[in-house]
Amino acid sequence: MATKMKIMVLDDEPIVCKRLKPALEKQGYEVDAFTQSSEAMERLKETDYDIIITDLKMKGIDGMQLLTEAKTRRPETEVIVITGFATMETAKESFHKGVFDFVAKPFKLSEIQDVVSRAEAKIRSK
Amino acid sequence: MWFNAKQFLKRFFPDRREAIGFPQVFEQFQTLLENHQAAMELMADLGEKSGGDYIFDRKYLFDVYHDMQDLLLRMVKGLNLIGDNKYYELYGTLDRIFLPMEAELRGRLVKTDAPYVITLHDAPIDNPELTGGKANTLAEIIHKIDIPVPSGFVITNNAYYRFLEYNNLGERIHSFLEAWLAGNEELNRAAGQIRYGILAGIIPQDLEREIKRFAQKTRTSWAVRSSAYGEDGELSFAGLHESVLNAYPEQLPEAYKRVLAGLYSPEALTYRRRMGMVGEEAAMSVLCQEMIDSRASGVVHTVYTDEPESDCLAIYASYGHGRTVVEGRTIPDRYVVEKRRPYHVKLREIHPKTSTVRSAAGGGDEEVPVAGELYEQSSISDETIGILAKWAVTLERYFKRPQEIEWAQGAKDNCWILQSRRLVIPERFSQPDESICESCSQYPVLIQDQGVVAHTGVGSGAVYQVRNNEDMDAFPEGAVLVTPYTAPWLARIVPRAAAIIAERGSPAGHLATIAREFRVPALLGVEHACNILRNGMDITLDTYHRMIYSGKVKELLRNELLQSTVFEESPEFRLLRRLIKRIAPLHLIDPLAPEFTPSGCTSVHDMIRFIHEKAVQELMDIPSSLHRFKGVKVWTLTSDVPIGLKILDLGGGIAPELTGDKVRIEEIESLPLRAVWSGIAKPETWSTEPVDVDFKGMMSSLTRNWDATAGGVSASGFNLAVINKIYMNLHLRLGYHFNLIDARMHDEQQHNHIYFRFVGGVTDLTRRSRRAQVLARILSAYHFHAVTKGDLVVARLLHLPKDEIRERLHILGALIGFTRQLDIQLRSDQDIPRFVDEFFSRNANPAQSPL
Repeated sequence: MATKMKIMVLDDEPIVCKRLKPALEKQGYEVDAFTQSSEAMERLKETDYDIIITDLKMKGIDGMQLLTEAKTRRPETEVIVITGFATMETAKESFHKGVFDFVAKPFKLSEIQDVVSRAEAKIRSK
Repeated sequence: MWFNAKQFLKRFFPDRREAIGFPQVFEQFQTLLENHQAAMELMADLGEKSGGDYIFDRKYLFDVYHDMQDLLLRMVKGLNLIGDNKYYELYGTLDRIFLPMEAELRGRLVKTDAPYVITLHDAPIDNPELTGGKANTLAEIIHKIDIPVPSGFVITNNAYYRFLEYNNLGERIHSFLEAWLAGNEELNRAAGQIRYGILAGIIPQDLEREIKRFAQKTRTSWAVRSSAYGEDGELSFAGLHESVLNAYPEQLPEAYKRVLAGLYSPEALTYRRRMGMVGEEAAMSVLCQEMIDSRASGVVHTVYTDEPESDCLAIYASYGHGRTVVEGRTIPDRYVVEKRRPYHVKLREIHPKTSTVRSAAGGGDEEVPVAGELYEQSSISDETIGILAKWAVTLERYFKRPQEIEWAQGAKDNCWILQSRRLVIPERFSQPDESICESCSQYPVLIQDQGVVAHTGVGSGAVYQVRNNEDMDAFPEGAVLVTPYTAPWLARIVPRAAAIIAERGSPAGHLATIAREFRVPALLGVEHACNILRNGMDITLDTYHRMIYSGKVKELLRNELLQSTVFEESPEFRLLRRLIKRIAPLHLIDPLAPEFTPSGCTSVHDMIRFIHEKAVQELMDIPSSLHRFKGVKVWTLTSDVPIGLKILDLGGGIAPELTGDKVRIEEIESLPLRAVWSGIAKPETWSTEPVDVDFKGMMSSLTRNWDATAGGVSASGFNLAVINKIYMNLHLRLGYHFNLIDARMHDEQQHNHIYFRFVGGVTDLTRRSRRAQVLARILSAYHFHAVTKGDLVVARLLHLPKDEIRERLHILGALIGFTRQLDIQLRSDQDIPRFVDEFFSRNANPAQSPL
């Protein structure tokens, strides 16, 4: 079996992390979940993630900053943005570059799992 | 918002009697219908989100709340426009229903609303913030699982706040805790001071009165236990909090204080500090339950921790009160039992028992020696083992975590559950299974990627197909329900099912709601499920991947039990369910009931229902709104059927090229009206004996009524259909009874509904009620959700595909004809099944036809 993909999940609402982490782990990924963007930012400095799943609007450092930082450090990292329906269009307009995909909240577990699988396929094909 | 609305309305109604014309009213009505539909969809959407298949956050809940409020405000405005401002009171209703929800969302409990004391039976589920973890769990067991729990009452958090406030204790406790956490105060001293403060506190009179009022309801003594927030949920405070057993009513206030004080024992404080929960003790409820003078008692672990792989549970038992086992005073008997029927006992260890604990005469308990012949006997019978094992499996299935269950057996050998909490499994067993996907791939897949998830989870058991009522009675505990339909009558077996797979249905339907209520994993819309999944086959349903495996996938079940989040218990889900409780229940069913008023509305659904009904009524209330019909074209149906029907077309309901004011049924393009009429106009509907003669008389009176009024419009004899291409609202007054059908036939089934109301008759209430029974039975067979009250029948059906709606409307048409004078013939209750059968002999009986 190929090496496990490392995934970061960042959302300031704990329920999102609490549900995404075990679901992705069950799929065979290694998952670190954060509710504080500053902690996630710190962790980025020491860990290479294959995939980052992040919300956009958060207190403190927002998803946009984290995304920029992650892409600068490691351009091959794939970023998936999860955000509310209302903010989706602005999110898509404001930066189309570099984001692998957008998923609107609330979403089905299977939706995010599909997106993650596609991101994984892209990474593995390189 | 009040004033704005007022001004707004004034602008539209300079003079109230000079109401706006019908076209505008109808435009309002259509907008109202759209908002009605949107609100119903939002409500369904909320229900769907509570099934676990979606990840949502608090923001979503806020958004839905605001959208819902907005829609309801529009509906209230719309109704007032249609109804000449008659329903002003609804603005107040809007606030009454929505403001507490907003408080709930913002986490502000409306303290003054919450009672000091509430019975366990009346305690709300999904609100551990009020009653604490233990009481909440027991309330869930009472309502959802139906396992015997000793009755009792909860002294709520609100009582605790009152006690603290009355004695100025809050600040005192806080400062001691602060000092301890900061290292400035020793644990024992801080704990001692706090406990002293509580024990010396005075229970305010209003609170004491409440406690005694509940305590003296039965002649019994009480077991008094803590029910702290977080307890028995994610965290286990097992044995850390003090209990007072066998307390008499007059001893209760004192016992209450002792249990409160127990929350601040050094052990409890240390534990909470380790769990990062110091400060959470602001929520402390106390549970009082009728004392069971137990002959035996003990604990069940639903996982046998010595051999977690064995798929067994362990029962520990001894004579007397549970203290003997829980506090480890003697070595209890141990039974290791297989977790499937017939609950075979794999291992039994019987230990000699020298002493036991029982209730003492004046209160409290006492230790007594065990009589000689019992010394080496098994403390419980195999029958009892079977009962306990069955309950334990049910509890674990419901709570989705290994359980530690305290039980007691009364003097008459009847068993009770005292509490159930999460069993802490040693770390090494709960490590994630690295190769869960690989393990699963060894099992044959029967069905995959089919259906929609109604409630998320993994469930396993033997297939049991249910096609009719008789099948239901034999439904085995823990089987997988496989069914072609999602009819409401399946509801009563849902609590017994390990999983549900249906060929039809949607997550917004009734069965889905019930599955979520009882937390049963459910996959709906799985084609050919009944052909593939045959009776008796062992299968495992995994909704996460929409897979149905052959066999019991142990690895997956274990992973689910030990690993995945129990989403049902997260605060967000509880919050969602509390919102749903303020939104979805429908209490206002009978529009003729005295409580069918704005002040009778207790949920958003009630409001939606009330507004919809009144809007329809306003429109139908011909005498008072006749002036509005000026300039609106009213068609008259020409048909062999002697019902003078007037038709209002909202657009697309009647062939566009048609001129004049007469229309034949072939020229009607409204799908629902055509469907109903095809049933009404069936030849045998109007030509059967023995009512023919009566019928003629009845019809002539109706026609007379109709003709007698100037302009051809009379209130009593007015049959009216308001239609468009896919919608119909049909009012038919036949003789002395009244039919209403409201239906929509959209291409997308989630927009479809049929609402049928039937009331009245010429005979006495008994016979009319019999007719209501006949109707309800027939309607239920066609999968309507039918409710009767006296001679009123209200039946609903939701979200069926267009073709099935058409079929049901046809049946309704036939039924309207069939029952028109049935009440006269229903001389006794025995006539009810006879006429039900007669109807089925003329029309296909859905229970007997291939599904």
